[in-house]
Amino acid sequence: MTDAPVLTTARLRLRGHSRSDLDRLCDLMGSDHARFMGGPVPRKDAWRWLASEVAMWNLMGHGAWGIETSDGRFIGQVGLVQPPHFPEVEIGWMLLPEAEGKGYAFDAASAARDWAWDQGFETLVSYITPENTRSRALADRLGATPDPDAPLPDGETAKEIIVYRHSPDDSDGSPEAYA
Amino acid sequence: MSLTNAPTLETERLILRSPAKRDAEAMIAFLMDDTRAAGFGGYTNRPDSWRWFALNLGHWHWHGYGYFTIEDKATGKPAGISGIWNPEGWPEPEVGWVVFDGFEGKGIAFEAATRARRWAYDDLGFTTLTSNIVPGNTRSIRLAERMGAVYERTYHNPNMGEDLLYRHPGPEALV
Repeated sequence: MTDAPVLTTARLRLRGHSRSDLDRLCDLMGSDHARFMGGPVPRKDAWRWLASEVAMWNLMGHGAWGIETSDGRFIGQVGLVQPPHFPEVEIGWMLLPEAEGKGYAFDAASAARDWAWDQGFETLVSYITPENTRSRALADRLGATPDPDAPLPDGETAKEIIVYRHSPDDSDGSPEAYA
Repeated sequence: MSLTNAPTLETERLILRSPAKRDAEAMIAFLMDDTRAAGFGGYTNRPDSWRWFALNLGHWHWHGYGYFTIEDKATGKPAGISGIWNPEGWPEPEVGWVVFDGFEGKGIAFEAATRARRWAYDDLGFTTLTSNIVPGNTRSIRLAERMGAVYERTYHNPNMGEDLLYRHPGPEALV
């Protein structure tokens, strides 16, 4: 079995999912909070979705991490995923409501993105619903930009999805970092 | 690299082993065959079928059990799947089986499912097992009965709708 590598940031630890994570994420997917993630979805369907994601490390060599704070509290998921209908690998995130607004998603997504570039990923995108202003702001902050020419996931239209493209140059922050 | 922690089990004609990437196409073909997959729950599209293949791997990670690939010793080909299945919403763990096109009518499901049930009792410590069968799936009903399972009740399965629950003889009855 392949497990997710453990990534650490100043405030967070990213590691493979545990069973209790998935329980919490099933609850999240069933709530109105999941309205931009194709939800709310019934628990039985969320379970199948998440269980299939656990296998992605084995199948694809990349997948999802559970995010926990330094005191070991589970706060959400960040992942590098490419189900068959995605033309490119997506970096995606979902945070439990109580963990929002603290920049955790930015930290976690930055770490996952940097890991992906280190692994030699050639492209990375984030597929975001236009109304999902929080995620769009985060994509902006990560340095990603809308790519109107990017291929869309099968079955999606440009009205439903904005493709944000990440590029390796974003990883080191603003250009001033080189000054 | 094995995709799961599944052990490898053997019967006279079959090997039950971890699902592997090379099994994916046979499984997807089965799931997308709406006649054959009617009693199992299939899909009309490839992405969802692929995701089911991944789901089974995740099920192994989650529970420590799932569907084995049944490999036919004579040809080395995947002949179907059998194992223990218990996704969210299931009443309790069940013994399940599927035989792929071209491998039917040879008693493969019986041989594999009996071995998987034995594994669940002997190695996982299960004390009881069921099989959930959609009404009208007479082949599977016959197989369950051949394994000694008896009809217990009809219930509503979240994925399959009306479903028949068969209960297998416990470990003590099979010694």
